[in-house]
Amino acid sequence: MSTMSASAVAHRGLYRAVQLRRNKGIGGLTIVVLLFLAAYAVLFPGLLTFEGFAKFSQTWLPLALTAMAQAMLMLAGGISLSVGATVSLGAVVAATTMGTPLGVAGGLGAVVLVGLVVGAITGAITVRLRLPAIIVTLAGSFIIGGVALLILPRPGGSVPTTVSDLLAGTSPVAFGLLLATIALWKLYAATPLGLGLYAAGENPVGAYRSGVAVDTVLIAAYAISGALTALAGFFVAAQTGSGDPVIGSAFTLNSIAAAVLGGVGFGGGQGTMRGAFLGSLLLTVMINVMFFLGLPPVAQYIAQGLIIVGAVALPEIAKRRAHRAGRVQS
Amino acid sequence: MTAPSSTLKTSRLSGLLGNRALLTLGIVIAVWIVASLTSRGFGTWGHLRYLIELAAVIGVVAAGQTLVMIGGGIDLSVGAVITVTAVGVPLLSIPGDATGLGAIAAILGITTAIGIVNGAGIAYLRVHPMIMTLAMATFLQGALILLAGGSAVSVDNAVIDMLGNARPCGIPASVLFWIAVALVTVLMLRRTRFGARVYALGANPLASALSGVNVPMTTLALYGFSGLMAGLAGLLALGMNGQGYVGIGDPYVLMSIAAVVLGGTSILGGLGGYAGTVPGAVLLVTISGLITVVNASAGWRSVLFGVLILGLLLLSGREAARR
Amino acid sequence: MATPVLEARDVRKAFFGNPVLKGVSIALEPGRVHALLGENGAGKSTLINILSGALAPDSGGVLVDGVALPLTPVVARRHGIAVVQQELSLTTHLSIAENIGLGAFPRRFGLVDYGALARSARALCERVGLDEDIARPVGDLSLGRRQLVEIAKALYRNPRVLILDEPTSSLSAHETRTLIGLVTALKRQGTAILYISHRLAEVMEICDYVTVLKDGSRTADRSLDGVDAAALVRLMVGRDPGDLFPTWRPTAEQQPAIAVRGFAAGRVRGVDLDLRAGEVLGIGGLVGQGQEDLLLGLYGAIPAAATTAQFGGRDGLPGSVTAANSCGLAYIPADRKREGVHLVHAIGSNMLLPGLARGAGWAWRYPAPESTQIRALAARFGIKGDLGRAAQALSGGNQQKVALAKWMPLDPKILLLNDPTRGVDIETKRDIYTMLRGFAAEGRAVMLASSDTPELVHLCDRVAVMRDGRVVAVLAGPEISEERIVALAMAADDVRSAA
Repeated sequence: MSTMSASAVAHRGLYRAVQLRRNKGIGGLTIVVLLFLAAYAVLFPGLLTFEGFAKFSQTWLPLALTAMAQAMLMLAGGISLSVGATVSLGAVVAATTMGTPLGVAGGLGAVVLVGLVVGAITGAITVRLRLPAIIVTLAGSFIIGGVALLILPRPGGSVPTTVSDLLAGTSPVAFGLLLATIALWKLYAATPLGLGLYAAGENPVGAYRSGVAVDTVLIAAYAISGALTALAGFFVAAQTGSGDPVIGSAFTLNSIAAAVLGGVGFGGGQGTMRGAFLGSLLLTVMINVMFFLGLPPVAQYIAQGLIIVGAVALPEIAKRRAHRAGRVQS
Repeated sequence: MTAPSSTLKTSRLSGLLGNRALLTLGIVIAVWIVASLTSRGFGTWGHLRYLIELAAVIGVVAAGQTLVMIGGGIDLSVGAVITVTAVGVPLLSIPGDATGLGAIAAILGITTAIGIVNGAGIAYLRVHPMIMTLAMATFLQGALILLAGGSAVSVDNAVIDMLGNARPCGIPASVLFWIAVALVTVLMLRRTRFGARVYALGANPLASALSGVNVPMTTLALYGFSGLMAGLAGLLALGMNGQGYVGIGDPYVLMSIAAVVLGGTSILGGLGGYAGTVPGAVLLVTISGLITVVNASAGWRSVLFGVLILGLLLLSGREAARR
Repeated sequence: MATPVLEARDVRKAFFGNPVLKGVSIALEPGRVHALLGENGAGKSTLINILSGALAPDSGGVLVDGVALPLTPVVARRHGIAVVQQELSLTTHLSIAENIGLGAFPRRFGLVDYGALARSARALCERVGLDEDIARPVGDLSLGRRQLVEIAKALYRNPRVLILDEPTSSLSAHETRTLIGLVTALKRQGTAILYISHRLAEVMEICDYVTVLKDGSRTADRSLDGVDAAALVRLMVGRDPGDLFPTWRPTAEQQPAIAVRGFAAGRVRGVDLDLRAGEVLGIGGLVGQGQEDLLLGLYGAIPAAATTAQFGGRDGLPGSVTAANSCGLAYIPADRKREGVHLVHAIGSNMLLPGLARGAGWAWRYPAPESTQIRALAARFGIKGDLGRAAQALSGGNQQKVALAKWMPLDPKILLLNDPTRGVDIETKRDIYTMLRGFAAEGRAVMLASSDTPELVHLCDRVAVMRDGRVVAVLAGPEISEERIVALAMAADDVRSAA
């Protein structure tokens, strides 16, 4: 008994210390996000109302889910250009199953299953056949998008209004779902499989020699990433009340942008999930601010392009200023 | 040809690469033969010529993409740049400029500058190529709608019309143009110092910098070349369509990357060449042509296209583990 | 005599048709420290990979406790075989503790048991002499410290067989002492240890038994009793080690090729230094005291500043690698694979690159003179075989020769070398030493940063010792001795504690 409690204390000790150290890396980003949020709240006090917060979290949730999905793959040393198509597929599956005898639970199950299967197949092809992820997911985006079109050739289907009201109504259920997703991720990241993701992404040979089942870790990451993406699609369908086979296309770029804003790098093992999560929040606030400022969608494109480059370039410039003596300048 | 290059390239490697290019070519020929036997109208000269014309546009974009990818990068802005060209030339048509060459020169200057900006972001601001060029694409997309609105614009430019439609000796001008681009690209890669630097940069940027390669300048030149090629491809596309519209360039991002990868160039950089990209481009249009002939629904077309690319990748472009 | 815990019998292995192991046997016994010696390219790494299950032999077998097994990394681990390789298996983003447990985490309810992990990690860190907070990300640690984490990681699995591949190459003297103590303790507990090192003094001190490989065959397999260092080298090289360093006569001219005052770059500060034509100037000190930054700064590869600077008669620092090259500078990096050669490119292409990196991009290349040039270089540097092979097919020593040879077409007046003999076999070392003195005799200036003190003593006209980013002393002629360099490299109290 005493050893149990001692181990619990020590457990919290190391786990906390590790987590705190990881928070250090995203301190600057947190400040930027808070500043943006504060500015947003000042411009649009509506954010601070119950309903305003609910609406805000509804625009945030799908982006957060796809950003996390993308970050998982980028941490694993891959990338996905089929996020948009998978979001569409999730939306289409939700809209065509939930109205049937399968019901809401069955439909949700179908969405998750489809996401897992799509992700696992993509992962298996990439990992087992050693094909570059960018090409596999590019080709995959055609296949997945095509399947979405086959299921629902034109916008239609329906999501029960109860679901829509619950998820896209006036209560911040979406925020609750976000918190639940984070909690699940924290659990996953504390399993050998989750920790193995960082190792397999950064140093696959080393991880393999250390006894990490690299292939399993990577394929699991692809599968979970697929499920998160499909769930984002389900949420989008709930928001619109129906399915649309091309509704997700913007999520490919936005998920990468959010992950990159959050400090996740290409090449595997660089960055943190919490960073990607904050990145999605930052991007959501930016998009909302531009929308509320009355910028035409066109100007939003331009601004988004500039912001993404700026967000990636500025830290680099600052870093170089800060200690001019880096390593070899290439 | 083989004697000098075998001292510069691994003989096994160049054999493999040669095989890859040849393999892709072999697949193309096999597909053509099978398709012309099984589907009526596929094997006619007119249809083949049409396919090659389409391939010319992809081939020209892919020339830039090949260089960028050998240099270890990727250019996802080529689609937007093609659109800029196709929409920009009609807008730039100046009344006093009878030949239309002024507008063409101006637009090619703009697209090259766009590429150089990409290169500058990558070389000096250290933005990852994928992010830099995606952001550039997003930016251009917004700028375009702002400039051109949503409607299509018709072109009235003799040179572009000739590029798109003239057929000296029965060979489409666009194909002749592609051949010229291909010769320049191959020679540039194999026979100039710049080409050697591109390969070195793609294989190991750090070692290249320490060997005296001017990495930022080479990067600027790479992406500038890609911008120029996308601009030229935009001219071809405009000439064939007769009008430019927002979205005309979108398919070419995937097409150019797929052509390069099917042609055996490593997505990790440092290995490959344009000789493989050429049959890669022809193969791609053949697949799309076949899918169109099958007359399937949009969903099936998309699925088929994706599956075929994946399948061909398995056959020809398999990436050896290099870590 | 005990049964071997791990044994390889008559294993053969070939890559792309090149035989690397031609029927080698080795037997590791409990409680014995077994040295595996051989030059680079002799087949040591391949043998280690076979013993640890990372590679399967083409023929021959691996026996664990006398039973033949098809070994994979997982099976090897299950039988208590742990390997510490030169290429570290760490994840920089994860903490020290998480790295130690990676692949074998203690679990509770499917989650990693951080409590149990913390306890074992702390105990192990203490054993290997690592006093860092175990929650620190490995990315924050120096190379030497990472090496210690790697060793702790191997010990975490309580190995019966521990394979150490050059474990001390990046360790300080103090860390090395701790490691040697650790190995001795493990040996007493009955662990079978396979110890690979280029440092013969260490081998003499801790090993009981030796297997020597040469060109993929076993040339010796015997107890180390009554064998001295010279005999060991004879076993490896097949001849006397006396001529490792060439005899040379000072050829230094008064005229400095490089003269800097108040030089700063990276962690280097306030360095005044002259490099004369015709001399070999050694740069010594402990690992990571700014030697690399000094070379890179002079080479224009990282931002540098100086109150006054002269390069080959020209005033001012070269601001870029290109400018440095045209001042006649060439740089040979320490990390061949990352910085020195293009592994996937042909040997010939590698040797042409510095030449092709200069001048206008559109300048035409002429294959015939290029291939003549390559062949001449290869002949001069003793690089054999098909020059169209990718450079990764070469051994480390030969890659280093390529990294050096590629500069010759530019006829550099000043060579900056960063630890050029690290991990290089003795034969190539000898070649490189001869070449360096040859360069000096031709009137070139050579700056040699090295972690190998004997080569500073036997090869250099003068030696500058660095500590914490500064040059603390420049020794010349008879002042140069291993003791002086080591004493200067460490602060005086460090010397006492290490001794």
